[in-house]
Amino acid sequence: MFRKTSLLAAAMLLSFGLGSVDARSSRNYISIVGSSTVYPFATTVAEQFGRTTPYKTPKIESTGSGGGLKLFCAGVGVEHPDITNASRAIKSSEVQKCKANGVSGIVEVKIGYDGIILANSKKTQPLKLTRKDIFMALAKDVPDPNGGEKLIPNPYRTWKDVNSSLPDIKIEVLGPPPTSGTRDAFVELAMEGGGKTFDFIKAMKKTDKKRYKAVCHTIREDGAYVEAGENDNLIVQKLDANPDAVGIFGFSFLDQNADKIQGSFVDGAPPTFDAIADGKYPVSRPLFFYVKKAHVEAIPGIKDYLAEFTSEKAWGPEGYLAEKGMIPMPENERKKFYKNVQTLQTIPMP
Amino acid sequence: MIDSQIPVIQDKEHDKEKELEMLKGLKTVGEITAPNPRMTCRNVNVYYSGVQAIFGVSLDIAGNEVIAMIGPSGCGKSTFLRCLNRMNDTIEGCRVEGEITLDSENIYGSKIDVVPLRAQVGIVFQKPNPFPKSIYENVAYGPKIHGLTQNKAELDEIVERSLIKAGLWGEVKDRMDKPGTGLSGGQQQRLCIARTIAVSPEVILMDEPCSALDPIATAKIEDLIDELREQYSIVIVTHSMQQASRVSQRTAYFHLGYLVEVGPTPQIFTKPRHRLTEDYITGRFG
Amino acid sequence: MNRVAVNETISVMKPKRAIETVSKGLRKRYRAERRFRMLGLAAVIASLLFLTIMFISIFGNGYTAFFQTYVKLNVYFDPETLREDTLARADYPGLVKKTMRAMFPEVQGRRDKRNLYKLVSSEAAFQLRAMVLRNPDIIGQEIPVWVPADDDIDMLMKGHIRRDVPESERRLNDKQLAWLDRLSADDRIQTRFNWTFIRSGDSREPELAGILGAAVGSFLTLLVTLLLSFPIGVAAAVYLEELAPKNRWTDLIEVNINNLAAVPSIVFGLLGLAVFLNFFGLPRSAPLVGGLVLTLMTFPTIIIASRAALQSVPPSIREAALGIGASKMQMIVHHVLPLALPGILTGTIIGMARALGETAPLLMIGMVAFIVDVPQGFNDPSTALPVQIFLWADSPERAFVEKTSAAIIVLLGFLITMNAAAVMLRKKYERRW
Repeated sequence: MFRKTSLLAAAMLLSFGLGSVDARSSRNYISIVGSSTVYPFATTVAEQFGRTTPYKTPKIESTGSGGGLKLFCAGVGVEHPDITNASRAIKSSEVQKCKANGVSGIVEVKIGYDGIILANSKKTQPLKLTRKDIFMALAKDVPDPNGGEKLIPNPYRTWKDVNSSLPDIKIEVLGPPPTSGTRDAFVELAMEGGGKTFDFIKAMKKTDKKRYKAVCHTIREDGAYVEAGENDNLIVQKLDANPDAVGIFGFSFLDQNADKIQGSFVDGAPPTFDAIADGKYPVSRPLFFYVKKAHVEAIPGIKDYLAEFTSEKAWGPEGYLAEKGMIPMPENERKKFYKNVQTLQTIPMP
Repeated sequence: MIDSQIPVIQDKEHDKEKELEMLKGLKTVGEITAPNPRMTCRNVNVYYSGVQAIFGVSLDIAGNEVIAMIGPSGCGKSTFLRCLNRMNDTIEGCRVEGEITLDSENIYGSKIDVVPLRAQVGIVFQKPNPFPKSIYENVAYGPKIHGLTQNKAELDEIVERSLIKAGLWGEVKDRMDKPGTGLSGGQQQRLCIARTIAVSPEVILMDEPCSALDPIATAKIEDLIDELREQYSIVIVTHSMQQASRVSQRTAYFHLGYLVEVGPTPQIFTKPRHRLTEDYITGRFG
Repeated sequence: MNRVAVNETISVMKPKRAIETVSKGLRKRYRAERRFRMLGLAAVIASLLFLTIMFISIFGNGYTAFFQTYVKLNVYFDPETLREDTLARADYPGLVKKTMRAMFPEVQGRRDKRNLYKLVSSEAAFQLRAMVLRNPDIIGQEIPVWVPADDDIDMLMKGHIRRDVPESERRLNDKQLAWLDRLSADDRIQTRFNWTFIRSGDSREPELAGILGAAVGSFLTLLVTLLLSFPIGVAAAVYLEELAPKNRWTDLIEVNINNLAAVPSIVFGLLGLAVFLNFFGLPRSAPLVGGLVLTLMTFPTIIIASRAALQSVPPSIREAALGIGASKMQMIVHHVLPLALPGILTGTIIGMARALGETAPLLMIGMVAFIVDVPQGFNDPSTALPVQIFLWADSPERAFVEKTSAAIIVLLGFLITMNAAAVMLRKKYERRW
């Protein structure tokens, strides 16, 4: 299985001299990078693809959405990845960077949704929150409870302070750090959604967009929100140990640990598969992957990988990705992106 | 001539400085030359990082003689000994001036390589230091690296001959493959001597070879030195005046880096001509 | 008191008082000694305790991963589905489903059927395919086949999923439990040694995930590291210790090597990314690049250990060799290096063990990745043991918790083997002088 030592010297020489040329000129596996949220789904598809086709199983690096797009946009050629997964849409600045490096044909494929869950231990009652409650509990600055359009540093200590119908428990939220895609989506969907319920903040969006973003997206730093690292399993364990704490993570972790933790209702919708799928649960985000069109012909197997990913048995409501906790798209959306993949429809370049 | 006015001063450094001042320009008493010298030293000065340790020493070493170097601690006798096969080269910051010849060739000359020099002028150290290898390997190492033998049989013969000469053969012939470090102190030292003579040197330097040994082992080594004199010149540094008087033909007395007196051993010990020598051998200091 | 009495007292007291002082102090001295010994003992006990707790918790969580639940299916290799010409592409998942339906004929309804199929791993279909391809004669026969159970079933059997919670909180519903109980009653469920874990690469299905890919990746990476860092480290140490003149430049080099040994490993990862990947264009995720990066990290450690080992060789051995006319190189090669070797090897193995446990630098060069195929060479994409642990620890499936601990057991096994090797080498080559 391993080459012997005698061959090693030759291998070294090859890798230093000829090897570099070799590495650039061919690659017989698909190279995928990107979001750690999409990683469990992409790897499932990749494995299925590897077992059912003559191609090698794609290599999938978990680099985070931003890191993945950075690698993806670095250029065209076998040393650059073919596909990047993202738990958010590509930004226009990233498209520009791609273009500058010669990556002009990018196919965007939306694959489904991920619900962001606020959960606590099964040992207590589930919380019934609104996005406004979430904003009030976690924003750094909140509107003055005495009225007016003034913002004051968040004075709330317990959930009851935020909303009298909530239990009298200290606010203690374990969530992802700012580097995480889950955090981006959480502030955008839950916090901003809550901030908007105040008219003067909503009005700010038109007058002072920067300030609006800062108000809605800044999480308090006085200890009520604890950055618990990227490892969601760890958050689940901590919740099990501390019934008063609330954790923030992706739906698949709730799905796998339903015996230990329960999701909070948001705006009256329970965090269930069905509620997220039909859009009732407000804090959910789309998941994507991006394909380099120039690589589709050059790297063997990309077409078949795309076909596997966009097949009903993978991303359909009964597919194996749903099994893994991904929330599928409605049928018309699936049809639309399936067609995009078939025709390799690229996103418009600036 | 300098009197034995050894000032009793508490401050040792001052004491030494004062003494050095008095010794300045001292001329060696006695006959420094020898007929048919193997090695000659003329006006040797040694400095350690700029501090002078040996002051203008001149001395001949004759063939087939044992010359003993005595003197109080720190008198430079070991330093001088190590000049004779350039072991001082290994010490950082050591500089040797003057002329030392072996068979009329300056060993500090630019053409001289220390490797063959040390094959010609072997050395035995104060503490027995056999290699952590077998007894055989210890003795065979020198001939091997110098390529003195053509085959195993010749090497075996050299090893046997050297061990016989060192008086160790009878004790070790049945355990040649046992580690040399497993021998007793005296045996180890004789092994080191065997190792040195295996490369057929002309001169053997011995740096207090018995100071780490018990009296019986010492006696054996002293007998050995006497036998070796038939083939080699031997320079021995010793702390023991009895040993010097037992094994050597000539004795040189060193004091604070100066060669104070040199002469036939009986004369040095019975009728020393210099006051410092007399003080030393009568035990006034040392 | 009169004068005589005072004098007497003094003459009697004087020696006594000294002894009293000594014995009084003695008690205090012994007390201090005892205190120190107790403290030391307590420190040892505490560290042993932590070690034991760590081992117990890891082994307790992980040993079950070495076992896997299997389900016996009576498979009728239907000639209808398995036509001669399409054996490789036949509908094996369909065959599995058909078998399951035949075993539970009462199960009706699409949802229930799906739940029934979920009892066995997706591996079952591949297993049947391999059987048919190996021996097409079995077509037309009914053969009992043991196939791996799905990871949820496995977790239930191992007690990691509780049966006594309400149905909605379980990943297995009441019907599935009933089916399982029937299978159990029929002796169709068995726990066996999990060879898959030892023999295969990573997988998204916990019941199929194995450690071999990561272990081979670590092996190849460390091989590159050893082959590069050992000669470079020892050569550098010998040069600096034995041959280089002692001056300001060598002092500067020494200080910088010590600095290098203290640099956080992620920095080496960034360096590797910039130099090996971007400049030399070596392939991403390859053990070769991993080995190069870990070499940068390891060889300062080797240099420092080797220099200490060289320094500890007694000068008398050097003098002995020089004294009979060995050249400097001969002195080093024949005498100094062999004596320093145990120390050098110990330092090397400690450095390698540290390299074995590194993830941070590998992140930057793309070795934190999902790789199913076991790497076959130095340029194949691969991952490493600590990376595998990291990736599994972050997976949502419950079954990966035990896999994570099992991977830690394997990593600890590697580390203990390496340290044992260090001890043995030291024992073997250690010489007294």
